[in-house]
Amino acid sequence: MTFIPNWEEFERSAEMLYLRDPINTRYSMKYSHSKGVFLVKITDNKKCLQYKTEVQQDVRKVDKFISNLIRHMASNDN
Amino acid sequence: MVLLTNDEFLTELTKLFQKARVSGSVTMTMKRYDGRTKPHPRDGTPAVPNPKYKCLIRAQSSSKKISTVVDQEDVEKFSTAYTNLLKTSVNGLKRLKKPKKKAIAAQ
Repeated sequence: MTFIPNWEEFERSAEMLYLRDPINTRYSMKYSHSKGVFLVKITDNKKCLQYKTEVQQDVRKVDKFISNLIRHMASNDN
Repeated sequence: MVLLTNDEFLTELTKLFQKARVSGSVTMTMKRYDGRTKPHPRDGTPAVPNPKYKCLIRAQSSSKKISTVVDQEDVEKFSTAYTNLLKTSVNGLKRLKKPKKKAIAAQ
């Protein structure tokens, strides 16, 4: 499982992965309050990228990214 | 897997977050969905001729699973409600204290 250390790099690679194959790419988020960990994973069934954080500041960045993704997924553009 | 409307999904997701605060985790998955209800035909023609894309969102925690489909018309509304929910629920992480550069420079 490839973990990417910084958020900007993860965001760029994730976007590229999604645009290459939008219908088969899925994005997954896991939050564990007791462990204080927020995990983000994107995969197109061939390649998988992950990002893990324990920092509150990253939640806002993840938020923005997923709202962009949701918007793109539900639209008709490629 | 329970398929709900967007509003019901958000309510149930709030409950999942509250239940998982003590132990366990909440997982959310997003994927593009083209509205197909039949399997792909073998002769290569697409299952849905003019796909109107939607977003399929699933969430699970311990043994409870819920899902919803977001249409193009509801995307804005759902997206803002969803980000608000995440902001209020995902708040147990560490807050880094950035050293105040001005205070250090002033000394």
